[in-house]
Amino acid sequence: MAATTDGTQHEDQRTGAPAPPPGRRPGPVALAVSLLGELLITAGLVLGLFVVYSLWWTNVLADRKADREADKVRDTWSHQETAPGGPGALDTKKGIGFLHVPAMRNGEVLVEKGTSEGVLNNGVAGYYTDPVKATLPTSGKTGNFTLAAHRDGHGAKFHNIDKLRDGDPIVFETKDKWYVYKVYSILPETSKYNVQVLTPVPAESGRKKAGHYITLTTCTPVFTSRYRYVVWGELVRVDPVDSKRTVPRELR
Amino acid sequence: MYGWIWRHLPGNAWLKALISLILALAVVYVLFQYVFPWAEPLLPFNDVTVDNQ
Repeated sequence: MAATTDGTQHEDQRTGAPAPPPGRRPGPVALAVSLLGELLITAGLVLGLFVVYSLWWTNVLADRKADREADKVRDTWSHQETAPGGPGALDTKKGIGFLHVPAMRNGEVLVEKGTSEGVLNNGVAGYYTDPVKATLPTSGKTGNFTLAAHRDGHGAKFHNIDKLRDGDPIVFETKDKWYVYKVYSILPETSKYNVQVLTPVPAESGRKKAGHYITLTTCTPVFTSRYRYVVWGELVRVDPVDSKRTVPRELR
Repeated sequence: MYGWIWRHLPGNAWLKALISLILALAVVYVLFQYVFPWAEPLLPFNDVTVDNQ
């Protein structure tokens, strides 16, 4: 018993020693190599953390922000009913409506103005103001309702864009209307400079005449932004929103 | 580098481990809060729009 106690005490003293025993100090080359190794390990860890940041943490932040903004929009809508005639019937700063795409299985996506990083990083879909201005469905005019959202990170609202097939519904919800679109054309890969996909009559989708179109754009392949993925839809129906906000049959 | 930091931390092994953990968490916080948000737009991973530039 006494011998063991002695032994542990002895070891404690040894590990508590501040420096390695003299005469065994590594040479300058060994020091440099071990420093380099430690720096490389650190760089690897930082890169790993960056992946965690961009694929997980930005989603957490963006979803939190988008939920808050969505609540605000729904609040405004319900308050406007009690106080009609107030200004800001179309408040483009807080979001103009919600996009429902059942095939993407991600619930509702708030739509806001602009496609800058500052907008899209909040976990929303943005409608284009540049280089080609989107035509809002609420305007009633013919044109193209062009939208962009992140494929990965920052909410990743269009992550499952590749699950969309011809004929799938895309529903845009505003305060008093459901705009029901049907997918009719998909471009799985195009140049990021191909702004032709945003024109009021997107010729590349096969349509030649003016109509009510919707265009979803995001980056592809996943985790990169080398190309763009484009999905086109055409308006098939506009339903009025009833007092219970009954969803159109496409969303049931 | 890490050995040098470890030797210069005060206290016994437990205290050193605790301080190391706090330091590591502080580094992760600074990375997530300041460094990554700054670096991300400079890296070509998350451009989703089509444009002329």
